[in-house]
Amino acid sequence: MIGVQAVPEVATAIRTSGLSKRYRRVCALSDCTITVPEGRISALVGPNGAGKTTLLRLLAGLTRPTGGDLIVNGGVPRQDPAFLAGIGYLAQEIPLYRRLSAEDHIRAGAHLNPCWDGESVRERLKALTIPLDRAVGTLSGGQHAQVALALTLAKRPRLLLLDEPVAALDPLARRNFLAILADAVAAGGLTVVLSSHLVADLERVCDHMIMLAASRVQLCGDIDALLAEHQVLVGPRKDTSAIERDHRVVLLSRTPRQVTMLVRRNGPVIDPAFQASDVSLEELVLAYMGQGAPPALTQLTSIGDDQ
Amino acid sequence: MTWLVWRLHRTQLCIAAALLAALTVLLLVTGLQMASQYHSALAACGASGSCANLASTLFLGSHAVGFLVIMTLGVPALFGLFWGAPLVASELETGTSQFAWMQSVTRRRWLAVTAGEMLLAAAAWGGAVSGLVTWWSGPDNALQLDQFKPGRFDIMGIVPVGYALFAMALGLCAGALVRRTLPALAVTLAGFIVVRAAVTLWLRPHYLSAVTVTYKLFSGYTPTGSYWQLAQGIRSPGGGLVPAPNGAAVDGIPVGSLPRACAAAASGIRPGPSCRQALAAFHGFITYQPASRYWAFQGIEFGIFAALAAALIAVTAVVLLRRDA
Repeated sequence: MIGVQAVPEVATAIRTSGLSKRYRRVCALSDCTITVPEGRISALVGPNGAGKTTLLRLLAGLTRPTGGDLIVNGGVPRQDPAFLAGIGYLAQEIPLYRRLSAEDHIRAGAHLNPCWDGESVRERLKALTIPLDRAVGTLSGGQHAQVALALTLAKRPRLLLLDEPVAALDPLARRNFLAILADAVAAGGLTVVLSSHLVADLERVCDHMIMLAASRVQLCGDIDALLAEHQVLVGPRKDTSAIERDHRVVLLSRTPRQVTMLVRRNGPVIDPAFQASDVSLEELVLAYMGQGAPPALTQLTSIGDDQ
Repeated sequence: MTWLVWRLHRTQLCIAAALLAALTVLLLVTGLQMASQYHSALAACGASGSCANLASTLFLGSHAVGFLVIMTLGVPALFGLFWGAPLVASELETGTSQFAWMQSVTRRRWLAVTAGEMLLAAAAWGGAVSGLVTWWSGPDNALQLDQFKPGRFDIMGIVPVGYALFAMALGLCAGALVRRTLPALAVTLAGFIVVRAAVTLWLRPHYLSAVTVTYKLFSGYTPTGSYWQLAQGIRSPGGGLVPAPNGAAVDGIPVGSLPRACAAAASGIRPGPSCRQALAAFHGFITYQPASRYWAFQGIEFGIFAALAAALIAVTAVVLLRRDA
């Protein structure tokens, strides 16, 4: 793993090595080695079925790994009130008791957690004009998600694991929620891992990224560093073996005239025939998403080759 | 934790409380009526000396209420179906377990409090219904002397509490294994009926070894009180079982099994002295559980169902704590 090496004095919120999860025949996650330093907002990206939910559930202690080690908040995920108090987890299904009101959930949280900020939930929901006394099953999907997100934050966890938290929100609510997350992290003591397909949103708040594809980690590290390590090279259609030898070609597409490559640099690219340009986060994510795809799909990128 | 259990199940608990209150009123009113009817009948027959056939002449209460009381046989199953099965299954099915289990409460404690309190509620309700039914049936029990009869034994005393605990635990366990509410309901209902029937038919008669009394045919023998008869019949002098009469018989012995001395009696003539003598070698027997064992039987049956409940709770705990949430 190239990525950012953890500086010793920066504590890590998450550290896994060789983490695997196998469900009977299906391998949901294999050989996952990642590090997330404290105080980061980490984007967990990858195609559907890449193992994002499995990774989050492993980190939350809801699922047991079938191999490898993981340390979360300085300990192994376990059934222990102190560990549970440090983790905020919101599942993709946004599970809440449909017949209970938001106020009921706030009071339940107060009974179930040592440090619980119920008042913050009430304030946020009032500001969003979400009724506190109605059964949450009768709220709209977005309101439902807002209640669940506010409840997850009210636990005041050290590590927040959010599985596609903004999928149900409208663009404005999404932006507001991400701003609240950024503020909470800036205030200190909080690390966030959130999975999402909305790269533009992630780009706005995240400073760290974990990229999964085909149940393996493709990238993990500081977003700025990852962007700096990658480049798009455009050049004439000629032998690319020299570049492929020195650098890792993530994506390669040929047209009859030219070759476009997205490479992970191993030092500067010095071939003058190629024009180098920076990659955007979206390009990077899309390039790596194809990594786990079956061969037939990757061939699409080199269409025109046979002409 | 207790607050959440109460908040989630208060509607069901309130409905159960209302139903119990209605049953209490109904049984109190009819029960008092029946008791006074019984006591006045007892006083009347005591005066005329005809108390022996009181059981056949006096009918207590009404058919409708009597039917309702018999129906309390199904009350424990209701706890399993409405409280037990959905308790874990619906949390797993709707994913709310991921809310409950990601608060600062361990799954072990969640299960202990949730299951513990609902088991306690089921036991309390089962005990209350059983207590009412036992009191209500007091005069009828004294009259009919059939406290061991299935349908009577199982709705009185402490066994309904055992059934309620078992049904709850079965529902919990089915929910944890199946993880979906409707299939868990089906498993709970089927499991409850099968186990109850198996215990009633095959285990209950053997809790304690039965008493067998042999008696002379002419004198006969009836155990005291509300005993449970398992078998009764006549043995020939050789020890063989005389088949039950099916047609003409003398002293309960079918014509075909009569000794040679009674050949004349077989054709309807009064048995002579030689026949009487031959018949004296036959003797009757009765195998039964004495009335005094009633509470021992109640205790054993309660113990069986309580132990089954404990085993099911243990399985539930292992499944919920070991398996992925």
